[in-house]
Amino acid sequence: MHEMALMGDILRLVEEDARSRNLRQIKQIELIVGDLSNAMPDALEMAFDVFKARGLGMLSENARLVIHREEARAKCVVCGCEYTPGHRLSICPDCSMPGGKIIAGETFKVQSYEGS
Amino acid sequence: MKINLDAEVLSDNNAAAEFNRNLFKENKTLVINLMSSPGAGKTTLLEKTIAALGKDYTIGVIEGDLATEKDAERIRALGAKAVQINTHGGCHLDARMIAKVLPELDLGEIDILFIENVGNLVCPSGYDLGQNHKVAILSVPEGNDKIPKYPVMFRRTELVVLNKIDLLPYVEFDLEMAAEDLKGINPESRLIPLSARTGEGMDEWLKWVKDAYQNLQEQ
Ligand SMILES: Nc1nc2c(ncn2[C@@H]2O[C@H](COP(=O)(O)OP(=O)(O)OP(=O)(O)O)[C@@H](O)[C@H]2O)c(=O)[nH]1
Ligand SMILES: [Mg+2]
Ligand SMILES: [Zn+2]
Repeated sequence: MHEMALMGDILRLVEEDARSRNLRQIKQIELIVGDLSNAMPDALEMAFDVFKARGLGMLSENARLVIHREEARAKCVVCGCEYTPGHRLSICPDCSMPGGKIIAGETFKVQSYEGS
Repeated sequence: MKINLDAEVLSDNNAAAEFNRNLFKENKTLVINLMSSPGAGKTTLLEKTIAALGKDYTIGVIEGDLATEKDAERIRALGAKAVQINTHGGCHLDARMIAKVLPELDLGEIDILFIENVGNLVCPSGYDLGQNHKVAILSVPEGNDKIPKYPVMFRRTELVVLNKIDLLPYVEFDLEMAAEDLKGINPESRLIPLSARTGEGMDEWLKWVKDAYQNLQEQ
């Protein structure tokens, strides 16, 4: 459900840009999806296929969705170490202080697309 | 031809949120976005909050639900202004939906605007609505494991209202563990345990709202 709405946003962004360049077809879209972004890659792919099957937008028949995952990373502001956060995200595994700030994993971007 | 777009997926939402934020700021309206699972007690907390603060503040509410006007009717019954948004299956409110209904509210008159988001612990946290504060409501019967299970929600909120503490004697809920988990996920977040039903703990919540309003007026 949610990913359908997100895919709608993604396609709107891409198609708007493509039209401004007089492109007619989208052949590929590349996304960066962070592990902490709340967007599920599988569901995004399903949503992409649904939009493609509807054939209403600019997606070509064999358009591809490429998803690059961005792993969650945190950095402790107390001891400075970098770590992959567990379920208590801000607790540093090294010094056990709750000083961890997320430095990667929240990205949710359209990186690029291929049009013609 | 390959085009490097490098665009936030939620950029449209963020632009609408900025639009809302400016309107709220111009009118010095305090806006609080309430998020929780279905049935955690958002509407009940709002009813009790309006009953307690309605004399001193003009309160407005935007109700987000999949369907029905039921929650807005509960708020209107208390004399507060309420606008209902039906998302028709959408699992969260976004900033555009809020922008669309703002003309129905006289922001110049409203001191505090509460937005009751759609009951869902996942998606609503991703959408900036232009609010001043994001608050999560968790209720005792849901169990204390909800904090580690939905870290994104609890990372993106600055206050957790733990509702239905009148049920603590009847259900298993480890309050200390909940506080520890919350600290581990978001050390800056506060936890206010209360019961919207019995009124226990409500004073601390009401004080938080009043302080937030005061801080905004002094900015
Ligand atoms: N025991 C107890 N029950 C409560 C409390 N607060 C709310 N409830 C009950 O919980 C149920 C759901 O409350 P609502 O206020 O409708 O919850 P909500 O979060 O607005 O629900 P949705 O809008 O449907 O997501 C109702 O039956 C309330 O009476 C409380 O503090 N203690
Ligand atoms: Mg409700
Ligand atoms: Zn959603």
